[in-house]
Amino acid sequence: MAVPISQMWTVATYVLKKRLSGNHRYPLVLMLEPLFRCNLACAGCGKVQYPPHILKKQLTPEECFAAVEECGAPMVSIPGGEPLLHPQIVEIVNGLIARKKYIYLCTNALELKRRLPEFTPSKYLTFSVHLDGDREHHDFSVCREGGYDLAVEGIKEAVKRGFRVTTNATFFDGTDPNNVRGFFDDVMAMGVEGIVLSPGYSYENAPDQNRFLGRARVRRLFRAILSNRKPTWKFNMSPLFLEFLMGDRKYECTPWGSPAYNIFGWQRPCYLLQDGYAESFKELLETTRWEEYGVASGNPKCANCMVSCGYEPTAVIDGFGSLKGIWGMIRGTFSMYKDEHALRLLSEPAPHGPATLIQIEKPAQVFEETNA
Amino acid sequence: MTAEVLKYTLEQVEALELAPGTEHQKLEGWIPEFASDEDIRQALEKAFDYRGDVTLTLKSGEKIEAFIFNRRTGATLADSYVQYFTPKAPEKRKISYAEIARLEFTGKDRAAGKHWEDWVKAYNEKKASGEKYALHPESLE
Repeated sequence: MAVPISQMWTVATYVLKKRLSGNHRYPLVLMLEPLFRCNLACAGCGKVQYPPHILKKQLTPEECFAAVEECGAPMVSIPGGEPLLHPQIVEIVNGLIARKKYIYLCTNALELKRRLPEFTPSKYLTFSVHLDGDREHHDFSVCREGGYDLAVEGIKEAVKRGFRVTTNATFFDGTDPNNVRGFFDDVMAMGVEGIVLSPGYSYENAPDQNRFLGRARVRRLFRAILSNRKPTWKFNMSPLFLEFLMGDRKYECTPWGSPAYNIFGWQRPCYLLQDGYAESFKELLETTRWEEYGVASGNPKCANCMVSCGYEPTAVIDGFGSLKGIWGMIRGTFSMYKDEHALRLLSEPAPHGPATLIQIEKPAQVFEETNA
Repeated sequence: MTAEVLKYTLEQVEALELAPGTEHQKLEGWIPEFASDEDIRQALEKAFDYRGDVTLTLKSGEKIEAFIFNRRTGATLADSYVQYFTPKAPEKRKISYAEIARLEFTGKDRAAGKHWEDWVKAYNEKKASGEKYALHPESLE
C-alpha cells in the first residue's frame, strides 16, 4: 500500500463529511501553480508557452495560502512550471504543512538535490518527481540529455533524507509497455513510496501534436502495463483509477475535483483546459457550465482525456463512497491483475524500440484491445 | 464550447486510437477588421487563445500592450470584457469590448515555431555527432 493510512483516513473522512452534508461538488486536490516558468522545454507540455513578463510572474505565499483555504481540499499538488524555481517555495510548502495539507510538490528534480537541505521531511510533504521512463526515454521526453541522471540523484538523496518521494510519469503514443514495466522495477528499487502515472493530455499549445493517445489505445497500453503486476510495485494512486485506465471501469470526469489556481485566477473548467478564469473558487463552482465538459458532453477538447486530474477524483469518490467501492479499493490494492491476454500483448514487438524512438511518422503497433 | 463545434459521439470517443492534434493558427502580425460586433467578439476570442502579447488601441486613442488571459462575453459589447496583464504593471486589468477600436497581434506567438519534427531532427543530429542534446527554455530577457 503506497498511500499512508493517515492520508487515506483524512481523504476518506473528508469525502464522507461532504456526502453527509449533501455536497456533491467538492474539490479533492488543489492544483496550485505558483508560476509557469520552467527549466525544461518538453515537447509534450503546453503549460509554459507564455511571453517573458508572464513567465516572470509568480504567486506570493499569501496568495497561495488564501487559495488553499478558500478551496478547502485536503491535498495540494504544486505543479507549474517548475516549483523549485519559485524563490519562496520553501515558505509556501512550510505554510501548507502548518495547515496540515498533504502536498505533492511536482518537480523535474533538476534542482532537487541542491535544494533538499532547505526542506524538512514531513508526512504531509511528498516530492513527486517527473520521470517518464528509463534514461533514454526520459531524456528524449523532456528534450534534455542528462535530465534522468539529475532526477535520479535527487530522488535518491530525498529518500536518504527521509522524504516521501513518488515518481510521476506521463505516457504518449509509441510507449513500449515492457520498457515501462522495467522502469517500474527501477524506480521501486530507488526506494520511492509509489508510482504515479497518466496518459498525456492533448495540449493545444504543445509542440508535439502527433502522439496523443486516444482512449482505445490508452486502455490497451495500460492493460498491457498494469496487468500481471509484480509484488514490488506500489502505486500512489487510487486502484480504481488504474482499473479505469485498463478499461475495467467506466467513469465520467470530475473537473471540479482538481481545481487549478494560478496567476490568472481559478482556471475554468479544469487543470488542463483553459476556457477562462474565475475570481474566486465559489465563482468557479457556481458559474462554470460544467455540462459543456467531460466525455458525455461530446466536447472535442475532452474527447481523448483520461488524465488523472479529471478521473482520479471520480475514482476516489467512488472508492470512499460505498462499501462496494471500499472493497474494490482493497481488492485492487492487493491484486496482481493476472491476465493471460495482457501477457501475450507484452510478447508482441514493441511499438517503438529506443533505436526507432524518433520515427514518429511510422504508425505505432496497434495492440489488440481486450476489455473496453 | 461554442455551439458550432462538431461534437463527438460517445462511440467515436471510446474508439479513438490517436487523439487529433491541433493545427496551429498563424496569428502573429494579424490585424483583424472590426466591421461588426461579431468581428470584434471573434477577434478577441482568438486574442484570448493567443500565447503572445497583443496591442489594443482604445477608442480614446490610448494604446495598451497586453497579454489577454480571460474574457467574459455578455449580451452586448459593453457587457463583455477582456482581462489582461501588461508587461509593466503587476496587477490584472480589464477593459470592455466596447472601448476597443483596434486589435493587433503584435507580440511573438510563444506556442508557434516549436515543431516536434525540428526537435527530432536536432536529436538525430546530436546523437549522430555524439554531442549532448537539449532544448532550452527561451530567455526571459
